[in-house]
Amino acid sequence: MNADAATPRDPVLAISSRTVVFGAVGAALYAVLGLFSFFIPGTQSVAVRPAFALVPFFGKRFGVIAGFFVGLVGNAIIDLLQGYGLTYWNWSVANGLVGAIAGLIFAYLPPISRESVRLVVTALGSLLATAIGLLFVITDIWVQGNGIDFKTFLTLNYGPALLADGIAVVILTPALDAIWEPLSKRTGR
Amino acid sequence: MDVTPRYLGAGSFLSRRDPRVLLLVPVLYLVAVAGIVDLRGVLVCTAVALVYYRAAGIPWRGVRANWAFMLIFTTVLVVLNSILTSADTRSGSGTEVLFTVPVTQTAITWTTLSYAFTILVRYVSLAMVGFPVAFNIAPSDLGVAFARLGLSQRLAYGVDLTFRFLPSTWASLHETVDAQRLRGYEHSRSRNPVRRLLTMRPVVVPVTVNALIDAEDTVNAMDLRGFGGRHRTWMRELAFDRVDYLILGGFTLVAVVMVTAKLLGLTGTVWVP
Repeated sequence: MNADAATPRDPVLAISSRTVVFGAVGAALYAVLGLFSFFIPGTQSVAVRPAFALVPFFGKRFGVIAGFFVGLVGNAIIDLLQGYGLTYWNWSVANGLVGAIAGLIFAYLPPISRESVRLVVTALGSLLATAIGLLFVITDIWVQGNGIDFKTFLTLNYGPALLADGIAVVILTPALDAIWEPLSKRTGR
Repeated sequence: MDVTPRYLGAGSFLSRRDPRVLLLVPVLYLVAVAGIVDLRGVLVCTAVALVYYRAAGIPWRGVRANWAFMLIFTTVLVVLNSILTSADTRSGSGTEVLFTVPVTQTAITWTTLSYAFTILVRYVSLAMVGFPVAFNIAPSDLGVAFARLGLSQRLAYGVDLTFRFLPSTWASLHETVDAQRLRGYEHSRSRNPVRRLLTMRPVVVPVTVNALIDAEDTVNAMDLRGFGGRHRTWMRELAFDRVDYLILGGFTLVAVVMVTAKLLGLTGTVWVP
């Protein structure tokens, strides 16, 4: 059961036409909105990508597969549009894992009727999914072959990415969820 | 800004290849260069990558901005990580200190410089085999290519669908920004990231919700047509030809040779001239 008692959901790993279409829509949204980012003043390379908030949102609302698809394909398309190809594929997988983990977390959370509590739980669940999913970028140590150690991974790769994406998901994911909640009830989804 | 993938290498040698070749070559190349810190080994791989890139026939005018962005970003990363700080560096035979970085007090040796240059060259060569994925695969071929690589037929169709949604999503974003501006919306110039994010809500939320509402129609249309009911076929038939096998065999050979050299310890030391 997910956080919204009124919303029935398919089996966690089912791939229906709904999963495919909403995954594709989410990936396109992430790819388009993901081209916009801004740096946090005082840091060297920490860029906040507001569209990242879509990844846990799709995971929560449309399931594990759709969430994974949005993160993986959306990030890969951003890289394609910027000309990187699939060089940083492990970052795309990490984005996908954020969506998948968000889907899992919210699929097994008990229903929450109070809106304020639900939004706080959405923010925290999304942040947790981001923190866990982005751990996959530890593969940079082997994939990019830089030979960076764990401390470097934490301070230069994982920490800044978590800070930037964490800000985005805490602010925008609950906002998206609050708007989508009455609409999803209206459409019976 | 153009969000539609650009098929810049149309008609070139690589674009006539099976798209699966262009997806598999970067994987093999990554296996080949990962973990190599000997500049000579990376330069040999880069020569192979350069030949491959030239075969892509990507016009310079179309990608010079991408190369500029990539080179600036990578150079900053390497200088920051491997030269200015000691976050990513190696020890080697060239231990003579050439100079010390003023603020961080990092001692710069020939080994430091050779390692930094090796990393930079490796990133550039990875971009050389990565660019053809972005510019030499027709967007309509990606879905079938992933399907034939073993991805679920439904998810492969999802990849196809994503590319079809890109132009309409981009148009919707523009419409929303224009509509919100008529209502007094202004993009924040604040340095506060939280405030900037909050001011993006009037754009991100309606674009997303509109896309989701429209998607319901697509879901219904696909359900009515029995999507996913049985094995999906594709209009585009993919088949490897002899040249495709030669390219894949060549890159497999490069990967095997470099991994063997790595295991034997031949490329694990920073080379100092």
